[in-house]
Amino acid sequence: MATVYVNGKPVDIGNEKLNLIQAAQKAGVLIPHYCWHPALTVVASCRMCLVEVGERKPDGSVAMQPKVVPACQTPAKDGTIIVTNSAKAVFAQQQTLEGLLLNHPLDCPVCDKAGECLLQDYTYDFGRATSRMIDDKFAPPNKPNIGADIALFTDRCIKCSRCVRFTREISGTAELMFVARGEHEEIDIFPGEPCNNKLAGNVVDLCPVGALCSKDFLYKHRVWNLKTQKSVCADCSTGCSIWLDANKSIVYRLRPRYNPQAQGHFMCDDGRLGYHYVNSIERFLRPMARRDGRLTPLPWTEMVPAIRRAFQNAAQKEAASVVGVLSPFLTCEEAYLIAKFLKGLSNQVRLALGPVPIVGEDDTYPKDRHGRPIQPVKFTIRAEKCPNRRGVEEILRHFQGEIISFNDVVRDAAEGRVQAMYLAAGYPPRPGGWVSEMQAQMIQRVPLVVCHDLLPSPVSNFAHYVLPSASWAEKEGTFINHAGLAQALYWGAVPAGEIRTDGQVFLDLLERRGLLHAATLRKELAAEVPYFAPLAERDLGEYGILLEKKTAEAGVN
Amino acid sequence: MPIADSDVKWVTAPKIGLMEQLYLPAIFEGLQTTVRHTAKTLFGDGAVTQQYPEVEPKLPPNYRGVHRLNRDEQGRVKCVACYMCSTACPAHCIDIVAAPSPWPDREKYPETFVIDELRCIYCGMCEQACPVDAIELTTLYDLTGLSREELMFDKEKLLSVFDETVKAGTDPIRTRAGRLSVASELPVDVGLTNSSSAQS
Amino acid sequence: MGTSLELGFNFWITLLFIALMMGVLQGTCAYLILAERKISAWAQDRLGPNRVGPWGLLQPIADGIKFLLKEDIIPDHVDKLFYLLAPCIAVSTALLAFAVVPFGPTTPPPVLLDYRQVPPQAVWPQTVEEEKAVLEADREHAKRTNDKTYEEKLKEYNDTIQFVIAPHVNIGIVFNFAVGSLAVYGVLLGGWSSNDKYSMLGGLRSSAQLISYEIPMGLSVLGVLAVTGSLNLETIIDYQVKHGWNVFYQPLAALLFITSVFAECNRLPFDLPEAEQELVGGYHTEYSAMKFALFFLGEYTHMITTSFLIAILFFGGWHFPGTNALSGVGGILVKLIVIAAKMVLFIIFFMLIRWTLPRFRFDQLMGLTWKVLLPLALVNIVCVIIIKQFHLSEWLLLPLSLGTLFLVAGLALYMPRQRPRAPIRLAAHVASGPPAVLQDHEIID
Repeated sequence: MATVYVNGKPVDIGNEKLNLIQAAQKAGVLIPHYCWHPALTVVASCRMCLVEVGERKPDGSVAMQPKVVPACQTPAKDGTIIVTNSAKAVFAQQQTLEGLLLNHPLDCPVCDKAGECLLQDYTYDFGRATSRMIDDKFAPPNKPNIGADIALFTDRCIKCSRCVRFTREISGTAELMFVARGEHEEIDIFPGEPCNNKLAGNVVDLCPVGALCSKDFLYKHRVWNLKTQKSVCADCSTGCSIWLDANKSIVYRLRPRYNPQAQGHFMCDDGRLGYHYVNSIERFLRPMARRDGRLTPLPWTEMVPAIRRAFQNAAQKEAASVVGVLSPFLTCEEAYLIAKFLKGLSNQVRLALGPVPIVGEDDTYPKDRHGRPIQPVKFTIRAEKCPNRRGVEEILRHFQGEIISFNDVVRDAAEGRVQAMYLAAGYPPRPGGWVSEMQAQMIQRVPLVVCHDLLPSPVSNFAHYVLPSASWAEKEGTFINHAGLAQALYWGAVPAGEIRTDGQVFLDLLERRGLLHAATLRKELAAEVPYFAPLAERDLGEYGILLEKKTAEAGVN
Repeated sequence: MPIADSDVKWVTAPKIGLMEQLYLPAIFEGLQTTVRHTAKTLFGDGAVTQQYPEVEPKLPPNYRGVHRLNRDEQGRVKCVACYMCSTACPAHCIDIVAAPSPWPDREKYPETFVIDELRCIYCGMCEQACPVDAIELTTLYDLTGLSREELMFDKEKLLSVFDETVKAGTDPIRTRAGRLSVASELPVDVGLTNSSSAQS
Repeated sequence: MGTSLELGFNFWITLLFIALMMGVLQGTCAYLILAERKISAWAQDRLGPNRVGPWGLLQPIADGIKFLLKEDIIPDHVDKLFYLLAPCIAVSTALLAFAVVPFGPTTPPPVLLDYRQVPPQAVWPQTVEEEKAVLEADREHAKRTNDKTYEEKLKEYNDTIQFVIAPHVNIGIVFNFAVGSLAVYGVLLGGWSSNDKYSMLGGLRSSAQLISYEIPMGLSVLGVLAVTGSLNLETIIDYQVKHGWNVFYQPLAALLFITSVFAECNRLPFDLPEAEQELVGGYHTEYSAMKFALFFLGEYTHMITTSFLIAILFFGGWHFPGTNALSGVGGILVKLIVIAAKMVLFIIFFMLIRWTLPRFRFDQLMGLTWKVLLPLALVNIVCVIIIKQFHLSEWLLLPLSLGTLFLVAGLALYMPRQRPRAPIRLAAHVASGPPAVLQDHEIID
């Protein structure tokens, strides 16, 4: 049990191996820092975290070191004394900031980082109000094509080397480096080898200033206008915890949210840039029914009873010929509700798991310079490109004991053994689509097809009822990732037009009143399905709840 | 916040006499004032009314009327699309879409810049917030339109307001590096004597 | 009564007067609105409406056209019958009340006295025999005193034009008050049927105010009636022509009457029913176009009627020193002008007071009528009764009246007052943890 004294306040840091920044954080004291990042190696190059350090000997005497030292590089041990507010420490912080600002341009108004910039924040909290610089600032030219999605504003760089270390240590691809020395030092790439690895977007988040900017977000919006919501990336079964930044129901960007149980600090570019379909103007905006071969809008108030009636009739005629297809993009709550509705018609109704998109193999990082993965794995992009296969499977298993694959259902449909099909799809538009033309032709033989989806697909071209789905950014619920980690999803945007979340439609089909409230449903789900029992009492917290114990190998940074 | 005891001044109501208690003398005193004003306006030249369409008001140069977007020396829009004005705007009437600028010496410029003049409350916060002295309020006060759309001023319209007002000489550029320049001070002959000392 | 003794009633003249006064009243109302706006402007150093016609003189016509052409909105949530009825009641009662108000020279109807009794008393013969006897006695008395007989007086009265729509109504002032106070139904129904909280509150306030102020108004008039001995407004004027204006005898009653009349007309400082700051538009919040104009018309007609009443009851009606002897068309014109001038003066007074006094709070409003005006009016009546009972000089009423006023003001100076509320010191309660519930005795230190 080690005790450190932060600004005179004793803090018990236990047996953790911490540096002084982390130790001070435990005491609620912020030691400003740029180059240090918990996932990267320590270089102590920015000198922002200079503090006064001393030691309290067991006999009670205090010995302070004569010079300020970088907190990131100094391990905390029992009796360590950290002083961040002494004249010496404050002076050191001011001096460092003045040095960093010597060549930093005053272009905050046009800088995308403004508002979440650490240089702004620390200058405000720790720096000087005015500049004493009288010479012209050194302004090297920008490098707008340093990566496919990354632009480098060279003059804004404070040379913390976070990005360089990231490409060397986490992605392993090592595209970025420093060239030149001293004042002329700048970030660069080898000619013709831009920073295009699948984790490259993270350098934008890592950059404490506005030097590295995402071209996807460049000049799109000012960050202070964005409403940030906790969410979960839906692009692969890793289930990265993310921040969803939206304003007026337009999603502007996704950023990784630290979650040691899911993915660590980072996220991949596939997920980061894969949200655009949420804002697509081609999405279905209103429920539609097919009349004389044409899709015509039908209000929800008529649509829901019509579907309910149609399925009740179909189940009465021949329950085994009624099929529900639950896509792995549904939240657990939604899957539970639709399963409950269809199984409530008759126990003979069959439920199938929708197509699970698999693209290539799991992609692990870091890689060596030939692109071969090396151990230890620090980040994994899963081949399974859906967020909630595990959750939907568990619900199917609970309701009918076995999991029927989509292909079986399609085959049955082709053979005419399916009379009614409920497709709760909601797939994002990905190359190839979720259903092939051939499969669609087989499904076309089903006399009654209800299809929930975001965008037109081969099935929606003939489905009798097409219902607009809400994307993951617009709904709340629970996703279970590949390792059985349950994470809560919150809505960050309001769906456009008359779109209702799938869960709300299922709730209406069940004739249950009110609006969908994920936490309540989750409780109900936990009480009914044993697999979800751990979710009963508490909310899922920031990091989610592991439903399975055997997942110690989950990639954690 | 509770009021400190030191800030509380205790006063007792003054004693009133018989005539005050009657209230009638006070009423007549008040009536006297009313009659005096009425008579002064009716028979004298006491009215402060300006006959607007015939007589145009003389406005101080720091009057806050219709907005304009200033041009730089090369005639380009000065605005750098930093959103400071729209952030500062209490009425949320400024809508900007930014884009990388087509000029080598600038990084960002407003692709569109729309002010809803109907929603605007003419507080001048945008002018104060602007880091590049690009948005200013002019002395144009007679803003009329036949539709709501007409009063959604876009970039071209706002730039044309600049051209007009500069040509007319009524509104010299009044901000310099964020500070109000001499042009915004009241000249002596404006005639708003009671407010001139407070405003300058 | 036999036909020979009936007081004259010329149908055509009455019809003419009704038509004339309807037109004049409405025209006056329209121009009063202009006057109101002009005077408001002048009192505030402005010019007022000056765009329509010379000096804005056509403004009322523009306003009238606007009222007529505006969309007539009847909100969905109103009680339609009463919603439509309310403005009709407001305007019709105001016009009806004007029926007994003389607007020009009048003569009092002759009184038939029974000279068989000593002293002679007014009599209304019930049978032909009695009538004959009384007339006989009257003729004898006339012969004795060289005076005109009742029949001659009656003929003379019937031959003069009385400038009042309904002449010789014995219960004149009572009729006026009775009909005029029906206006409260217009206000109350308007407020209630609008089915809107602001209207409802405005209507309730208004009814409370109108009913309360009717009491001191009626009581202050009682003194005048006791002195004059008649309810007939023509007789009241005649009394003042002979004895001098009532305001000189009973200034207190005049003050009380004028004050009450302000409240009855919903004029500032008593315009609580339509206090915009609190009630939007008061009882006529939901009214628009012509229905709103009708409320307005009723209000201004009320104002004209009450201005006439002030002039008639206390300021001698058409009487002005030196004009009494004038006769013929010139005399009639002068007298018409005199009473009209008096009326206009009081209306201007109404309008000037509006920009002089701030609006009362509701409790102050109620306190004023129940605690001040009502007792003063009662004291006034007692004084008049004493004077009449003991046949004292009526001039004694003047010092009594003024004395009462000063005495009450002096007494009020020494009345025990409610102790002023000490400001609540919240700081101590906030500092000492959970917020303490302040008891009444704690607040009033």
